[in-house]
Amino acid sequence: MALGWLAAVGLGAGLLMAFGVAPREATQGNVQRIMYLHVPSVWVAYVAFAVVLVASIVYLARRAERADHVAHASAELGVLFTGLTIATGSIWGKPTWGAWWTWDARLTSVSILFVMYLGYLLLRGMIDEGDRAARYAAVLGVVAALNIPLVHFSVYWWRTLHQPPSLMRPGGSMPGMIVAALLVNFAAFSLLYLYFLAKRVRLLRLEAEAAA
Amino acid sequence: MPDNWGFVLAAYALAALVLFGYWRRLIRLEKQMSARTPLQ
Amino acid sequence: MERRSKETLNALAFFSLLLLFVFQFTLGPDRERLAAALPGILWLGFVLAGLLGLGRTFVLERENDCWDALLLAPGDKSAIYVGKLAGNVLLMLVVETLLLVLFTFFFNVDLAGALPALALVVALGTLGLAAVGTLFAAMTAQVRARELLFPVLLLPVQVPVLLATVKATEAVLLGEPLSAVAHWLKLLVAADVVYVAAGVLTFDFLLES
Repeated sequence: MALGWLAAVGLGAGLLMAFGVAPREATQGNVQRIMYLHVPSVWVAYVAFAVVLVASIVYLARRAERADHVAHASAELGVLFTGLTIATGSIWGKPTWGAWWTWDARLTSVSILFVMYLGYLLLRGMIDEGDRAARYAAVLGVVAALNIPLVHFSVYWWRTLHQPPSLMRPGGSMPGMIVAALLVNFAAFSLLYLYFLAKRVRLLRLEAEAAA
Repeated sequence: MPDNWGFVLAAYALAALVLFGYWRRLIRLEKQMSARTPLQ
Repeated sequence: MERRSKETLNALAFFSLLLLFVFQFTLGPDRERLAAALPGILWLGFVLAGLLGLGRTFVLERENDCWDALLLAPGDKSAIYVGKLAGNVLLMLVVETLLLVLFTFFFNVDLAGALPALALVVALGTLGLAAVGTLFAAMTAQVRARELLFPVLLLPVQVPVLLATVKATEAVLLGEPLSAVAHWLKLLVAADVVYVAAGVLTFDFLLES
């Protein structure tokens, strides 16, 4: 699949940017380069969960089986990328903050999202009737997505150990090449997500057809 | 400020493992599926 | 309905007493730590009681095979949700009042001044907990490993409400005015609106045959 090759190229470009082009960060040193994994990961996770929301709504409105497959696959990928976010964040945190785990805003919110959507996958696993699983999962998908901003605000207000999201800080000054590297890696991860999504949806469709 | 390349390597290695592992799983499941369909 | 409420109330009352004793054993002697931990302990008690009570929302329907009757009921099924929600909120408020009374009695906490503000926080938090709890109870009623899945689904979703209520309760118990925690209250109101709306709008989908 062309998408797969595109994703591979993207990842290559991402690595090049992360290690070849982006400069050594002033305050943190080279350990900051983990951010080129950590930040794109969390962004892709949010995209994935947004897709789950839309697909869930479409399923409830139209009962299109395709929408159900997309929701399922995207939730799986969302869990994958949030897991990656947490792991890379923890590895970055150890040399930076001195601890494997800090209850800072981002790690805490992402962990909550991780568990929420893990629950989504669990629910699907526990219902045998395909049609009911799709419906119930869609409802959960909507509620979980609606909950994301609530999680965000509550955790952020509770805790601000973490740097506030630098890219969204007005007048924030991050060296251009660092921003560029983040964006390239985000594009690469997005391509990878789309590639995985397409494959997973196709697999789910085949499974459904085989069971029919 | 020490560079902690060990940690950087660990993070990238972990990411590679996870993503590659997931991709392998998808490929394997696909092969299983296509092997099954001709027999229907 | 009557019988379920009485059974649940008994179980929850007993459970509350148990909680009280455990907390006394662990934190009793240290008055300062106890005071600092009180909001968290209180809401932990509320949530655990909620898990027990809310999880049983549809137990009668399931046990007596009335589930199909629910599915076939004519008219707007959201009315069932609202009805169950109201019942759950009432039940929880009763249990929470009981827990609160027990806590003030056994831990010698003076609530007099803070009572109206506390009541508001508790009411808002309880509505949020019950709104999602009732919806998820319907979702898990017919599912395998229901007792495991219900808390697993409910607790992560409840984190924002829990954070807000604990923080607000903390402030209220310290005698601070409600304006000091306005942002937490706004979050609670927003959460309540979102959860109840989501419940009303999606409940139908859970009850299709």
